[in-house]
Amino acid sequence: MIGEVQDPRVTFGKAVAEAGDADPRVVVLSADSGGSSGLGGFAKTHPERYLEFGIQEHGVTGVASGLSTFGFIPVFCAIAPFVTCRNFEAFRNDVGYMGQNVKIVGRNGGFTYSDLGATHHSLEDYALTRMIPGVVVLAPQDPAEIRGAVAAMLKHEGPVYMRIGNDPIPQIFPGDTFVIGQAKRLREGSGLTVISTGYVTPRVLDAVDLVSEEVDVDLLGLGTVVPLDEEAIITSAMRTGRVLTVEEHYIRGGLGSAVCELLSGVPGVIVDRLAVPHAYVPSGRYAEITARYGLDVDGIAARIRSMAQLKVPVG
Amino acid sequence: MTSDIAALELAAARARRFVLRMLEAHHAGHVGGALSAIDMVVGVYRRAMQLSPGMLASVDRDRFLLSAGHKALAQYAVLAEAGLVPESILDTYGQTGSALSGHPDMHKLPGIEANTGALGHGLPIACGMALGARLAGVGSRVFVVMGDGELPEGSNWEGAAIAAHHRLDQLTVFVDVNGLQISGPTADVMGMESIAAKFEAFGWATLVIDGNDMASVADALDQLPLEAGKPSAIIARTVKGKGISAIEGAVSSHYWKPSPAELAVAIEECEVAIQTAQAGLVAS
Repeated sequence: MIGEVQDPRVTFGKAVAEAGDADPRVVVLSADSGGSSGLGGFAKTHPERYLEFGIQEHGVTGVASGLSTFGFIPVFCAIAPFVTCRNFEAFRNDVGYMGQNVKIVGRNGGFTYSDLGATHHSLEDYALTRMIPGVVVLAPQDPAEIRGAVAAMLKHEGPVYMRIGNDPIPQIFPGDTFVIGQAKRLREGSGLTVISTGYVTPRVLDAVDLVSEEVDVDLLGLGTVVPLDEEAIITSAMRTGRVLTVEEHYIRGGLGSAVCELLSGVPGVIVDRLAVPHAYVPSGRYAEITARYGLDVDGIAARIRSMAQLKVPVG
Repeated sequence: MTSDIAALELAAARARRFVLRMLEAHHAGHVGGALSAIDMVVGVYRRAMQLSPGMLASVDRDRFLLSAGHKALAQYAVLAEAGLVPESILDTYGQTGSALSGHPDMHKLPGIEANTGALGHGLPIACGMALGARLAGVGSRVFVVMGDGELPEGSNWEGAAIAAHHRLDQLTVFVDVNGLQISGPTADVMGMESIAAKFEAFGWATLVIDGNDMASVADALDQLPLEAGKPSAIIARTVKGKGISAIEGAVSSHYWKPSPAELAVAIEECEVAIQTAQAGLVAS
């Protein structure tokens, strides 16, 4: 690890506030969710550009669309399922289909709101948002990438969805550089490609290092789910012949599905996906839920070992 | 003022004829709701909004959103009648790739502000536009036409709360209350009366008018905002299919596929209405 462990919401909120200092086009929309999204600082420094709407997400998504037609860059952050599932048609039509310059951020992604149960879990947000043509889907992997991703999404002209988590995460990258659609190689190897995204990546990095004596892993960290860094993935997959994807998302529709879609035309590559089974996840302590689904460091390490030992049919 | 009303009536008669011109090209469409709403759409474009073809892309323009996007024939007809798009474009209606989609498409036709069609989307977007105008410090006004059939969509009431809470008095909604929707009378499908009382309860200023009477439409537009600091809701009682006797007040007008003979009769009715309106304009 490079830097200190940071709360993703605090990191996100500070980054938006700093962007708002420099760019008067940035407007924050709150569905009774701004303060808990780390945006209380923005509300204090830019009260005229901090708009409160109470608890409603479809309406706020429509408002964001309308605001953007005046050249503003609306940033709407709330609990992830409410800004992807609840408002899905507004996201699809008012933001995606209309091609608006709107930034929607789902916080407490995955099951990081573990103790609040399945209503507050977000295990389908990559699937939903990557089905909307033209939407960029970001999943920054550490505090440095959160800062970089905020800058990148505000600079990008067009709709963006970004997922951040809840628990503090360590810094693993040396700087805030974030290029949309560009994977980062965290470890270089030729035995097995591991592809991770979002705040799970620091754990995956620990797992890769844990098994480094046994498995020669090529680790790609993806801060962007859409567009995929196809070149990096295909190049690595063709070299290793076997790929493991890791994500805190349902096994259907997320990063693993996207990688399978990409590699389905590439001969000689097998793909395994470590993700959450397609069922409602019970409430409980985050560390325990994570371990239950094999998404803790030990679980990820075990999956890497088994994937490395898998006999690949010769054909 | 009388001549103003007469001119608007002539514009509405011409716009109704343009709706039929699109039916001549495609033989079917959401005619009933377009014809119930067309007088208020004419009124908004010709009396309230300050638009010219050169202004359609300016940030400080007034904006019109058709929340009930299936009434697109009305907006297309009025855009052409007002000279904001060329008349000839009407003849492409229904063709693959036409700028005149079945529901409005902002990327294809100048003057379209939002990709509506799915119901319950126009008002929240319009709220965002009104907030945007305020933040940008420009005087744009925002007009929305909704249908009474879309009122059960909850997102409308999210928008109603937003507009009142944020005191968006440059925002005006017309509710086209033609009382009919695809499954039958709106009162039977999902009763939403009293519409005016609902908007008032949310904090809007309201006015109930005869939405097919141009003098009433113009009078309502001239009063805007109905009350300073409040958004305005004009509850416009109308007749579905207004202006074509074969379908006036009929549920079947919702999506009308006229036979050639029925279309010919309807066109003749519209031509007579244009002549009558021209005579009225001369007399005034």
